[in-house]
Order: sequence, then C-alpha cells, then structure tokens
Amino acid sequence: MEEYAREPCPWRIVDDCGGAFTMGAIGGAVFQSIKGFRNAPSGMNKRLLGSMMAIKQRSPIIAGNFAIWGGMFSTIDCTLVHFRKKEDPWNSIISGAATGGILAARNGVPAMAGSAIIGGVLLALIEGVGILFTRLSAEQFKPPQLVVDDPSQLGPPQGNPS
Amino acid sequence: MIDLRGDSADSAPIPNSRKKESTHSLATSPGLSQLNPYFNYDPVYFPPSQPEFIFPEGAVKQRGRFELAFSQIGAACIIGAGLGGANGFYKGLKATTLAGEVGKLRRTQMINHVMKNGSSLANTFGVVTLMYSGFGVILSWARGTDDSINTVAAATATGMLFKSTAGLKRCAVGGGIGLGIAAAYCLWNSRDAFSEITHHRMNPA
Repeated sequence: MEEYAREPCPWRIVDDCGGAFTMGAIGGAVFQSIKGFRNAPSGMNKRLLGSMMAIKQRSPIIAGNFAIWGGMFSTIDCTLVHFRKKEDPWNSIISGAATGGILAARNGVPAMAGSAIIGGVLLALIEGVGILFTRLSAEQFKPPQLVVDDPSQLGPPQGNPS
Repeated sequence: MIDLRGDSADSAPIPNSRKKESTHSLATSPGLSQLNPYFNYDPVYFPPSQPEFIFPEGAVKQRGRFELAFSQIGAACIIGAGLGGANGFYKGLKATTLAGEVGKLRRTQMINHVMKNGSSLANTFGVVTLMYSGFGVILSWARGTDDSINTVAAATATGMLFKSTAGLKRCAVGGGIGLGIAAAYCLWNSRDAFSEITHHRMNPA
C-alpha cells in the first residue's frame, strides 16, 4: 500500500474533507448497522433489513457532518499557516476551536462557546498525544555512538610478520 | 585518486552540465575526502542508467488509487455542496418570494434551503465517489494492475450498489449509467490511441 503523506496546503482542504468523509461513512455505517439491528422489530430478516435501512439513511449524513468538520478545520488551518507563517500545534488547536464555534453558529452564542471549547480541548489532546508519541519514538532513532577506527594510529606498516 | 576522466568521458554518454557540476562540486573539493572516504570519488563514473528510487513502491507510473481516493472524495463532496447550495439558494429564493416572507424569517428560510440542498447533494456525491474509490482500490489491489478495465468495472459496481435497494430493474439501470459514464471517460482518456489507429488506417504508407 502506498504511503499516505499529507498534501501541500491548498489541496489539503480537499484531501482532509475526503478523509473525514470516508472516516464518517465507515464509522457511521458500523454504528448505524448496530443501532438499526437493535431497534428493528424481532426476526432475523427484519433486523438485517432495519440495519441496512439505518445504514442507507443515516450514514451519509454522519459522513457529511464529518466532511464539513474536516473541510472547515483544514481551511482554517491553512489560513492560519498562511498568516502566521508557521505550522505548529497551536494552529490545530485554534482551528479546532474555531471550527467547533463556527459550525454551532446557528444554535446561539452559548452553544458556540461550548462547541469551541470542546473542539479546542479535543484537538489539544490529539496534538498532545502526537507530541508524546513523537518524543517516545524519537528515542529509538538516536544514532549510536560511532567509533571510527583510525588506521593512522597504528603507525606505518612493519613488514611481513612470518 | 586515479584519473580515468579522459576515456570515461568518451565512452559514457553523460550530459555536459552534469559532468561539469559533479567534477566541481564533490571530488575536487579538498576537505570532503578527509571527512569521509566515500566522498573521494567522482559520481560521473557511475552514470545512472535507470531512474533511482529509495523505495521500490515509488516506481509506479502514476499515483495509486488509494492515494487519490481521499482527494477525489473530498472534491466530489465540495462540488456537490457547491452545486446543491446554489440549487438550494435558487429554490429558497423562489419559495420565500412565493410565500411572501421578508426580513429575518426569509433569511432563516434561505439558510435552511441552502444547507439542506447543499448537504444532501454533497452526501450523494461523496457516497458515490466513496463507493467508486473503494471498488477501484479493491480491484486494482486484486488484479495487480491499474487500467481502464478497473475504472469501468468499479463504476458499474458503484452504480449497481448505489441503486441496490431500489429494486432489480433500477439497480441494473444504475449499473448501466455507471458503465456508460466510465466508458465515455475511458474513451475520452485514450482518444490519442484511437486517433493514431484511424490515422494509420487512412494512409498506410
């Protein structure tokens, strides 16, 4: 499988949107299949049918919500990269909070504040865990102390030992 | 260092710029050979006869389907949101004018229309592209190659899966639509090959 590396900035928005959509669609399909199975009337056929109906009806909506979150997050992230001229964890945290706030804009100011706090804390946790893992995995990449044998300290060759 | 430069320059077809650059950069700078014995050669003696890749996976001609999948899904989503939003704007404008709504009420209704239409079309487009990408990745992984047959088969399967809950006939229609779009795309993509064939047939010189 090919290596999945991140795209450069303007295209990252499209890429993140698609990744979030995929994640939401797959996760939503799993979640909704269980929910539909449990909520359906009894009988195996009906349960499977209910599961499928739930997947068909609900998982695109969940995927769409994920996609708009990812796309908005990435857009703000790229805007911050453009204006701050650097990429660091603060970008992600700020854009997570801003995304949460903007997407709750129609529910009033208290909901916006709550969503913004949740988004910021979530992204701070993700970034913190990422930094932690980088620190931990950096240990094993430390180059070992290389001792280079220098033949010059042996002196000139002393002829043939017989 | 042995000087092979004279006869090597005649035999190996090396571009002039490369030769000049390499002789000036590494081999003749005095400090580097003391740092590391491997710096003590002129790379001009090892002309690259084939493209060099760090990992063998990088040797494919184009990017794989998995690499492109997320971009394609995202692009489909965004295009769907744009088209659906525009359609919703138009519909909302018409509906609110018809209902005679003004001010705050009209604004809210407009936003509702745009959001609803935009998200529904974005979801549809995204799901279709997600199915297509999934089928494409599975097919190219299973067959080991990536060609037009994959595209056509993935599009047909996508159409059939998307309409699979609407009955057998509509499922077939969906598959046919997918097949048609994919076939048209493949023909358009390989029009150069076809034009070459017809060209050869025209004047068999």
